[in-house]
Amino acid sequence: MISLLNKRLMLMFTVIMVGGALVALVLTSFTGALVYFHTPTEAVAKTKELVAKKIRIGGMVQTGSLVRESGTLKIRFLVTDSTTHIPVRYEGMLPDLFREGQGVVVEGTWQSPQEFVATTILAKHSEDYVPVDMSEQGIAKSKESLLKSLK
Amino acid sequence: MWIEIAHFATLIALLLAIVLLAAPLIGIHWQRLVWIRIGRQSAFAICGLLTLASAGLIISFLQHDFSVRYVAEHASLKLPVFYLATAMWGGHEGSLLFWAWLLSLFVAIAAWKHWNTHPVSMPWVLAILGGLLLGFLLLVLFLSSPFERLIPPPPDGRDLNPLLQDPGMVFHPPFLYMGYVGFAIPYAFAMAALITAQGDSEWILATRRWTLFSWAMLTIGIVFGAYWAYYELGWGGYWAWDPVENASFMPWLTGLAFLHSVMVQERRQMFKTWNLFLIITTFALSLLGTFLVRSGVLSSVHAFATDPGRGVYILVFMAILLLFSFGLLTHKADLLKESPQMDSALSREFSFLVNNLFLVAGACTVLLGTLYPLAVETLSSAKVTVGAPYYNKVFIPIMLGMLALMGLGPIIPWQRSSVTRLRQEFLPALLIGIVVTILAPWFGITHGSGAVATGLIFFVGVTHFGDLIRQARIRMGRESLSASRATWLLVTRNKRRYGGLMVHVGTLIMVAGFVGSGLFQEERDLFMAKGDSMTIGSWSLTLESVDKAAKRNWTADEAVIRAERPGAEPLILRPQKRVYNEHSQPTTEAAIHSSWREDLYVVLGDGVKEGVWAFRIYRTPLVSWIWVGSTIMVLGVFWAMMQGRRIKS
Repeated sequence: MISLLNKRLMLMFTVIMVGGALVALVLTSFTGALVYFHTPTEAVAKTKELVAKKIRIGGMVQTGSLVRESGTLKIRFLVTDSTTHIPVRYEGMLPDLFREGQGVVVEGTWQSPQEFVATTILAKHSEDYVPVDMSEQGIAKSKESLLKSLK
Repeated sequence: MWIEIAHFATLIALLLAIVLLAAPLIGIHWQRLVWIRIGRQSAFAICGLLTLASAGLIISFLQHDFSVRYVAEHASLKLPVFYLATAMWGGHEGSLLFWAWLLSLFVAIAAWKHWNTHPVSMPWVLAILGGLLLGFLLLVLFLSSPFERLIPPPPDGRDLNPLLQDPGMVFHPPFLYMGYVGFAIPYAFAMAALITAQGDSEWILATRRWTLFSWAMLTIGIVFGAYWAYYELGWGGYWAWDPVENASFMPWLTGLAFLHSVMVQERRQMFKTWNLFLIITTFALSLLGTFLVRSGVLSSVHAFATDPGRGVYILVFMAILLLFSFGLLTHKADLLKESPQMDSALSREFSFLVNNLFLVAGACTVLLGTLYPLAVETLSSAKVTVGAPYYNKVFIPIMLGMLALMGLGPIIPWQRSSVTRLRQEFLPALLIGIVVTILAPWFGITHGSGAVATGLIFFVGVTHFGDLIRQARIRMGRESLSASRATWLLVTRNKRRYGGLMVHVGTLIMVAGFVGSGLFQEERDLFMAKGDSMTIGSWSLTLESVDKAAKRNWTADEAVIRAERPGAEPLILRPQKRVYNEHSQPTTEAAIHSSWREDLYVVLGDGVKEGVWAFRIYRTPLVSWIWVGSTIMVLGVFWAMMQGRRIKS
């Protein structure tokens, strides 16, 4: 009888160990993988605490700010929320929808307080197919709908 | 004209859905069979009416009836007929109607097939499915109607999103939906079994084929989506842990857990409550999958424009479903006594238990990553995304654990095994697995988890084929048959088991594809002028020219690239940058050369300056193994479906 009880305890113990290991795995991976999203104004205000942290900045590509280095894939442009402009440097292929005057999300780090180096550029999709995080409006709308439903 | 017929048909279907919900309940209450029959007949009628409604919408598309808002928004005069007919599910209003139509079809099939075999649970099944249909039709008619008119009609429509003008995208949603909707039937049977407290495990046997079918469809849908993303989006990958991909992956994981754990209930009468929990969760996650995409609360490439009213309705719908299901489960929990207890870790039921632990942990991982940003955004003003590294970090160990269990589970006997038996069954496979893991770095698999995965693939492969050979030998000895005849008899007589093992073999091939493409992809960004060359892997690529190309509703820049490899015929690859007439933004058409060994994938970028173009080139090993492996998986499921009930001995 005791041995049966022991066996069941052992089984439970194994299950708890495996389950615990999985939970620990999820939680430890989770905290490191969060990338926060800021508007240009926020990103500049918090430059110090955000240094060397991977973040996303969303705004518009300032019209007339796009400079291509001829013969390379290097570009510079300003991301703006109409109050703050952030100079962004990027090298690589651009998404199809990247254009001046269009919404954009850049992911990268502050290299120096003056320059944001993007590793990934996400451009806004066409009018009828809006990824919500690309537009402030969309965010406001979805938030509103969620808050409403939570109340 | 047709759109009014469709609208009217859907309205009547809504009324009949109320009958479908109410009539069987009246029938049960007053013990009148005729009322239950009325319910059954209305299930058939709803199916007919929604078929008419869907046909009406498709006909409106074919007639270019731009006075219908939905048609004007998702088609144009120049859209080819194939995409016109399938644009019906190209936007959310139409796809919800499509969902409702599929549900009505499955309900009708269930009402027809299970009428004689399940007289006790049938009225409840009908009522529950009627409630679901009612919920969906309310949404279709009042919150996202595809039948709205647009007055005055525009001369031409806005055209279908170019990304969706692709055969892969045409078939991706219907399969996904068949999977989602299919889980409604086992869910309804499970609820009916709980309510009537009848037949214990009967609902599992009754719905085995439905579950297998739904899971297979979900698999096809997900793989179609991945394949589409791979060759249409031009980023060289197939899975980005996008919230909407995640939404389809969660019910797949819990559905897979369910498929395994019901076997334990069938054989050992254990896990009864757990199985009910799993089927409720799977169906709820299926609904969540549909709704997340359609409500627009999630930020993703898939999300359509938002509508707050719809979001609220959907949340209320989900809340009712969850409260009803889990309320019922807790209320009736005392009926689900489990007689036998698990008594050894060296048993199949224990390995299935751990398997379920892994799969549910996987589903929770995805759920956390998908919903956490939503929660953060709602509760604070911060916006956050959960990146692919999180999922990869968690899913690599989960996948390795699942592989190890996959080698163990189907071979180890029920109840308990002995050490001698284990040694006989697993020692050779284990040794081969370890040797392969150790040797893997010498064959270029220098990545740690890649080497372990390769070792495990061999371990599982050897246990599976070893088992087949052992069983065939027993048969050969007993009935003095030839080896091939014995194997054939084995595989055809026990389709359930060997269908399942075939799914496992498909999985192994797929995992090999993940290892190859995930860990060993080579990527090159560069610019080339006419006549320039570059090398990637053993390939050497030369840009011959960049020309103009055009078709009915698009024009494109098209690069002509000659790809050569020692000892092979040279190839011509033609990547394009297309502009569709109705849309100003360009879309990328990658040129892909696929072989069993590797894929060569060329994307044409912008012109850097006169005559010089940017290119992105990928060499991805073993991608095609993913498509082959998934096909074998689905065939395995169909093989297992061909066998009906287990004959009780």
